[in-house]
Amino acid sequence: MPIPTLANWFARLRSGPSGDRAQLRIGIPRTLAIWSTHQFWLGFFAALGIAPRNLVFSSPTSEAQYHHFGRGRGTVDCCYPVKCMAGHYGELVFGQKRRLDVLFSPMFHSIPSFLDGAVKTSLSCPRVMAAPENIKAGFLKERDVFGERGIRYVSPLLDFGEPALVPGQLHAALAEVIPGLTLAETTRAAAIGWAALQRFDAGLRAESAAVLGACARRDAPCILVLARPYHMDPGIGHEIEGELQAYGYPILWGQYLPIEPALMAWMFGAEMQRGDIASPFDIADVWPSSYSANTNELLWAAKFAARMPWITCVIRLTSYECGMDQPTFSPVQEIVERSGTLFFAFQELDATKAAGSIKIRVETIAHYLEHASGDIIRQKRRLMGAGCPLEDATSQAA
Amino acid sequence: MNVSAFYRAYTQPDFTPHERERVEIRFAGLHWRADRVIQAVFENQGYRAAPMPAATRDDLMAGRELADIGQCCPASFVTGCLANFLRREAARLGADEVKRRYVYVSIGSCGPCRFGQYHQGYELALRHLGMEGMRLLLLDQSRLEQAGGGGLEVNLQLSLGVVWAILCTDALQSLEYRTRPYETTPGATDRAAADGVALLCEAFRQRPRHGGKWSALAWHLTTRHFVRALQLVARRFDEVEVDRLVPKPVVKITGEFYLQTVEGPANYDIHRWLEAEGAEVYPAAIAVWLDYLLRVSIQNLQARVAVDRHARAKLAVAKVLQRLLRWTFERMRRALDGVPHALPEQAELRALAAPYYHHRLAGGEGDMLVGKALWTKRHRAAHMICELSPYSCLPNTMSVGAMAGVLGKHPDLLYAPLEVKGDAEVHALSRCQMILTEAKKRAQEEFDAALARTGLDLAEARRRQAARPALRRATTAIPHRDVVGTGANTVLHLAAGRA
Repeated sequence: MPIPTLANWFARLRSGPSGDRAQLRIGIPRTLAIWSTHQFWLGFFAALGIAPRNLVFSSPTSEAQYHHFGRGRGTVDCCYPVKCMAGHYGELVFGQKRRLDVLFSPMFHSIPSFLDGAVKTSLSCPRVMAAPENIKAGFLKERDVFGERGIRYVSPLLDFGEPALVPGQLHAALAEVIPGLTLAETTRAAAIGWAALQRFDAGLRAESAAVLGACARRDAPCILVLARPYHMDPGIGHEIEGELQAYGYPILWGQYLPIEPALMAWMFGAEMQRGDIASPFDIADVWPSSYSANTNELLWAAKFAARMPWITCVIRLTSYECGMDQPTFSPVQEIVERSGTLFFAFQELDATKAAGSIKIRVETIAHYLEHASGDIIRQKRRLMGAGCPLEDATSQAA
Repeated sequence: MNVSAFYRAYTQPDFTPHERERVEIRFAGLHWRADRVIQAVFENQGYRAAPMPAATRDDLMAGRELADIGQCCPASFVTGCLANFLRREAARLGADEVKRRYVYVSIGSCGPCRFGQYHQGYELALRHLGMEGMRLLLLDQSRLEQAGGGGLEVNLQLSLGVVWAILCTDALQSLEYRTRPYETTPGATDRAAADGVALLCEAFRQRPRHGGKWSALAWHLTTRHFVRALQLVARRFDEVEVDRLVPKPVVKITGEFYLQTVEGPANYDIHRWLEAEGAEVYPAAIAVWLDYLLRVSIQNLQARVAVDRHARAKLAVAKVLQRLLRWTFERMRRALDGVPHALPEQAELRALAAPYYHHRLAGGEGDMLVGKALWTKRHRAAHMICELSPYSCLPNTMSVGAMAGVLGKHPDLLYAPLEVKGDAEVHALSRCQMILTEAKKRAQEEFDAALARTGLDLAEARRRQAARPALRRATTAIPHRDVVGTGANTVLHLAAGRA
């Protein structure tokens, strides 16, 4: 909680939550980078006095959503995670029982990453960055659909990977739609948003550590999903990982792997001592062009999988025409397979869930996991040596 | 299960300074004029260098075969071009000798699109070819000084040479494209352009060497060395006779950097095809890209003024650099008697694009794709826009999508976005031809209207043109009035002058 100072005490008096704010309804399309930043927005808008019930996220992606709300609004053929955004916009504009006041769709120039400092930059994919401008055009090309419905369209460009710049950018965009908003208040709300996001990320990392610990205790395999954050959307990732989980294999996502120092030292210490890498989060040994946040994290997670004995299988999800994934296909596969870990890719994912072929492939994967996991764990444990903190947890638990 | 060592990225031996005498630097291509003059810049610095051959359809196929699936077509063309070149050389000299003899230099960027990841495709191709260890140098397009492995010293003298080569050849290219559609002797413009490039190469080979940074910069900014070379080029173009009293649609080329810049199979030879269809091409100057890169730096610094105490000082330096770039190009343009197109103001492009595309959205042409389209309309610079985007280009698909909003507000804009796959020529060209047909109609109507407005008929206009021999010279600039086409502007110019 921020400590009241003379400056922000008065700022709060001047711009505290008003009745108007409590009534303000803000819609956010549940797409792209919102999947990795939504906790920030919950914390941020709550701190500004927006009632939680008035913060409306669109539904998960579905063909029906696009059919009802987005058809005819597309402006160009591109990857499905961007294309489906027209359905999300449409749902927020046309599909609400109570009209929204604001459609808030930020353009993320960069995204914060736990790899910051060890990589060159953490930029967004150009399509993630520009998608709101692209989708907006579909709602303005004939007439101003937002204006007709009394909705204010707010789409700030955010250097989200540079928190110092964010309050100013948010304040400039929101001052006209949130009554009495000041920069000082926006700064405080952003700090609350960051804290919420960090708590959420840390919580999921702790859960991943617990899953790995449980696998280590039983010497049991688990599966790592390498994908972009929006593949958690059931309409984009098609819940392939859920099909595998039904076979009893715990699922980890590359974005939320444990990063505590003891584990990092065990996994990467020898390579750091040899000078191969400068820190556990350095990916220059496998990917010198480390400027894209999600790509960097994907490569790092592949390295993690290669070194973690109980991850015996990696599932790669890629959407149709994903240009950021394309150059990483071979390196990611090689990073994983050189360690002996199983690797399966589901590529060109689009609107349609190919349920039949997914089922067949999932059965195949489950078969390989059942027969090969034991050997893979033994081999990777030999490769990595003793002293894994997860095994220490095993003995402690025992 | 056989577990080997962990995967490592592509590794290669260094290119060391003592190898300069025997190693040939091969660099990825722009258009042929710039390639030849940049070669002269390298030679002036004591390197053996040559551009890669122009990419072909076979190169596209090789690129697709050797790199990961789903590459954008510029990456496939460039990767395949490198692979096929190395294959041919390996058959002639042997793989080991090829690895010793050549170093490949390519320009990249630090994001956000996969332009900065092209090296991954090259490396994969080399691995598949069994040429691992071939040396690849990826240089950042936004830095004038950087490490090049020791053997290639990317210093200010070299970088300024490359930038000045681009400015000179941009001006020459623009003059060439404003001349060829109106030449009275077929082939005369091509011969003059070839001679012009030879003159520029000689000027860059003779460029004095400067050890110090500041002395190199001061010399490039103050010397008349290149202006004199361009004046010689202009005199060579004086010999090309033109007849501009022909209504031709002006087609502005925009789009993704590689596709709008190269001239050859990679973009279906669109420049020559448009000319063959009766158009005057308004080519995409590389200088506009350099100007845009400086604008991007300025914008990034402006965003940080409140949080970085050094930002204002850096901002002032960047603005000065931008003014110097534009001033230098204007010098080159004037040396060619003012015929080449001037650079558009970046601030204006940004302002025009603002309602449709944010100026800080990075990758590809950014907001320039939208800005250039509206700028063209506002300044009556072209009848139509031919926008070249690679299939699956990450940033360009976004700005092409945003163009839907522009066309909603400006339905009279003749805009032909061509998705270039490299092997779907008929589809792309027929699409272009549909818009070009409308552009031709507009050019003809505009020409007829200019005659009607001035009370001239074509015979009288020709008589007046014959009476003013300077107007038959390629290097005579026709003032741009309130019409688009060169023919219509010539009519208005003739009517305004003495009968």
